[in-house]
Amino acid sequence: MAPSLTRREALGGAAAAVALASCGGGDAPPPSSAEPGSGAALITSLLALQRATVSAYGACEEVLRGDSLAQVRDIREDEHRMARELEIIMTGERIEVPPGRSPGEYARTFPRLRGPEDALRFADHLEQRQVRAYLDALTDFPFEGQRETAAGIAWRQGVHLGIVRMLRGLPVAEGPFVTGAL
Amino acid sequence: MPERTDAERLERLLAIEERLVAAYEAGLRRDAIEPALGELLLEHEREHAAALRRALAGSERNPRATVPSPELTAALRSPSEFARFAARLERAAADAYVAASAAMRDERLRQPLGSILACEAAHGVALRQSLGEFLIVD
Repeated sequence: MAPSLTRREALGGAAAAVALASCGGGDAPPPSSAEPGSGAALITSLLALQRATVSAYGACEEVLRGDSLAQVRDIREDEHRMARELEIIMTGERIEVPPGRSPGEYARTFPRLRGPEDALRFADHLEQRQVRAYLDALTDFPFEGQRETAAGIAWRQGVHLGIVRMLRGLPVAEGPFVTGAL
Repeated sequence: MPERTDAERLERLLAIEERLVAAYEAGLRRDAIEPALGELLLEHEREHAAALRRALAGSERNPRATVPSPELTAALRSPSEFARFAARLERAAADAYVAASAAMRDERLRQPLGSILACEAAHGVALRQSLGEFLIVD
């Protein structure tokens, strides 16, 4: 049976899915046991995005050197920690943690990275999509605790984005609002 | 005391933004921050404050009093002290945005506040870069 989603979850999940489509996602859909309106489908989508991002940074590391490589390694470790944090939350909320895909499966869907410039541009796109996914989750998660987790991770993704932009020689923030505006 | 209404949360964020604006204005006046960086951060904080005022339009305002921080006066002695002080302010602002964006009852405001949060995160990176610190994620 297809998982039952609220409209918000469907919209939020779609945002995460768009991100995954371009960075190697496509993990199994949320388990059918997920309670509608619980945020389970959305957190499962965010976990898939995190895992794909960890794998994508592995591809970036292969073509980076020096300071850029060191910074990207730090970012990748932080992305991995975030994935673990989501898994722990899911376990605590009795949401089935899907197995994910192998590094090879993710790698087949990444663009070819010819050098450091390609890798950092790819990383910039990854971080923008991550920030957007967690900001979407701020609207879509039904419970304040879940939203606080999403906001905390959005902050960390904002730090990553700033670092990647700095490594690209760009201003750390493009404008006063990273996405959207009041 | 925790805020109970969205307007109270927005007022608190506005007070934080005004503190940041005052800090960057003073930093630029006293040459405690590199002008290009200082102008960029100041412009962003002014935009954030203006956006918060717009979001508060129509609410019963209860502005919070702000007083010049003695810490700011001390921080203006050198660019490195100022960068550390500003980075702490940016971090405190980020913490406030994390809590507020999650707690807002008006869901239309959550994402825009998150968008400011992500910008404050980038400011922290720029300030740490100005200190020549290795930008580990903490």
